[in-house]
Amino acid sequence: MNAVTRLSPGATFEDEPRLLPGDLAIWFFIFAELLVFGAFFIVYSVVRIQNLSLFNEFQETLNRGFGAINTVLLITSSYFVVRAVQAIKRDDKGACLNWLYASMGAGTCFLSLKTYEFYVKFSAGVNLDTNTFYFFYLSLTMFHYLHVILGMIILAAVAIKTRRGRYNALEHTGVETGASYWHMVDLVWVILFPLVYIIK
Amino acid sequence: MLGLTLLTFIIGYYEKSGVYFMLFLLFTAAIKSFFIIHEYMGLRGVSRLWRVIMYGWLTIVMLGISIPYLISSF
Repeated sequence: MNAVTRLSPGATFEDEPRLLPGDLAIWFFIFAELLVFGAFFIVYSVVRIQNLSLFNEFQETLNRGFGAINTVLLITSSYFVVRAVQAIKRDDKGACLNWLYASMGAGTCFLSLKTYEFYVKFSAGVNLDTNTFYFFYLSLTMFHYLHVILGMIILAAVAIKTRRGRYNALEHTGVETGASYWHMVDLVWVILFPLVYIIK
Repeated sequence: MLGLTLLTFIIGYYEKSGVYFMLFLLFTAAIKSFFIIHEYMGLRGVSRLWRVIMYGWLTIVMLGISIPYLISSF
């Protein structure tokens, strides 16, 4: 049975649900990661109500400006990746590569800023044992930080394969797979930032 | 999304707190998350199962965050 006979009367190919972008395996990985982060966010909120004054007091020691800049960097970086996927679908490998580099540039800025933030905290003697708030702050942000590093490695691998001409308008699953993972990293930060830095 | 991020920062900068600000901040985070899932991740138009999983996750997380905050506020 071919694709045409599977369509219901009057339906067009546009009516058919699309498949998830990229490799299906990465989506199971993404769902697993989101479950872990989701559980972490909910546990943070529950523990916070048991230590309300402590959380409110030490939340003020965080640099909200850095948090906001990092949010802008990740959202912008995600947009660049969207453009990279659009470019490879047009078979424009050069543009795809440039957008991937731009995205990795924004990701590098994120990592640099976050590294500086960690450096300031560790220099001040803050660690996981300092108090409950810092335990959650460091655990959540460092866990996310590791995901950004992994995302950067994936984007670099995608860029290398793009440069070698492995992707084109017909075969670009790898670019979509890397993009999906990078968007997940952005999605988690978009919730993490107001939760840990702002809401009190 | 950048405008909502700026708004979030301004609320934090002026140290606004309370239930309404918390709900507003979570609402803006939910809008940004929805946009990332729908447009960036490309779930617009994929089969309903995947959308239910992703938006279900978002809904549960938002409720899981807001309910303890609401409990602590009253």
